[in-house]
Amino acid sequence: MATQRQLIYDYLRHKKKFPNIWCAGCGIGIVMGAIIRAVDELGYDKNQVAMISGIGCSGRMPVYLDFYTMHTTHGRALSFATGLKLARPELKIIVVMGDGDALAIGGNHFIHTARRNIDLTAIVINNATYGMTGGQYSPTTPQHMLATTAPYGNIEQDFPICELAQVCGAAFVARSTVYHVEELQGYIEQGLEKKGFALIEAVSYCHTTYGRLNRLGSAVDMMRALKENSVTRQTAEKLPPEELQGKIVRGIFVDREVPEYTQLYQKIIERAQSGGKA
Amino acid sequence: MQAGEESQVVEEAPPETTKPRPKRRGRVTVFDNWCKGCGLCVAFCPRKVFELGPEGHPVVAHEERCTACNWCVYHCPDFAIVVELVEGDEPARKTGQSVGGRVRR
Repeated sequence: MATQRQLIYDYLRHKKKFPNIWCAGCGIGIVMGAIIRAVDELGYDKNQVAMISGIGCSGRMPVYLDFYTMHTTHGRALSFATGLKLARPELKIIVVMGDGDALAIGGNHFIHTARRNIDLTAIVINNATYGMTGGQYSPTTPQHMLATTAPYGNIEQDFPICELAQVCGAAFVARSTVYHVEELQGYIEQGLEKKGFALIEAVSYCHTTYGRLNRLGSAVDMMRALKENSVTRQTAEKLPPEELQGKIVRGIFVDREVPEYTQLYQKIIERAQSGGKA
Repeated sequence: MQAGEESQVVEEAPPETTKPRPKRRGRVTVFDNWCKGCGLCVAFCPRKVFELGPEGHPVVAHEERCTACNWCVYHCPDFAIVVELVEGDEPARKTGQSVGGRVRR
């Protein structure tokens, strides 16, 4: 395993863009560290890896990483990634999205990319709010919590990201938090190795807007809450449902073999070129 | 010969500490120009190596306690902490260990 100093020199645009723009203590930087360690651990050449993001706080991530990167339009990161994967199937593609980017603006793209089961690794950093635009409620804001657009509490139910990807047909679905970053790194590695659509939900926090409005304290307090409020899937199965209220369940939800889109597409190309006989 | 040398190193605990010296030791560096002073490392370091400095940045106050567990390195959102293993000590993460359901090579 490479040392942290080597990782910084190898994978970050360290001379141009640092320090990063994220708020002090933001979990997105922790996810970024997990991604570069996962890529390093798997021994990929960095010219084999492409990173694509949408808009939002997490959309800044490709700016800092020295892979092939694309910073695309809001919610359409998965669409750009689908096009890139079909054009260059040998690339390992990591798509980083926020919860609003993936599920509100890009919700349609999200369900259809999962349904197609195209070989991408999507990481949804879930901080339960739109952080960059000032704390509006997002599809994953828990019910009754405050947001700048919900001053009396959010009345909508929140979106279960992992369950959604599961029913849409993703090949690998896992959830972890930024506190359990080594576990998260392991899931990212498994997702990258998986042939098919891999979704990893990284539960993070926004202490600047969401945390301040709901009086959840500083980054340290919210990180401690992630530690205390999360249970593994094995433990969650034994707990009664009332104790599971408000808990984050970590673990691998789906790990299955599903026919992969680019391989099926290649077969169609071969069949068409041979005059439809094969 | 080599095994004998290693056991000698372990026995050389500093006389002033009551706890046995950790088997792994780290050399901690904080880059103040990248650090934003979020305080995660100060709050969560399992050995309380850091203290809050006058400018809100962490100061490496008790480096002798560091076991090179890399908690601060993995959780620093600003890539501002580097922990280097003191020469001759074993790395924190051994191969064959399972992390997140995946066995390390």
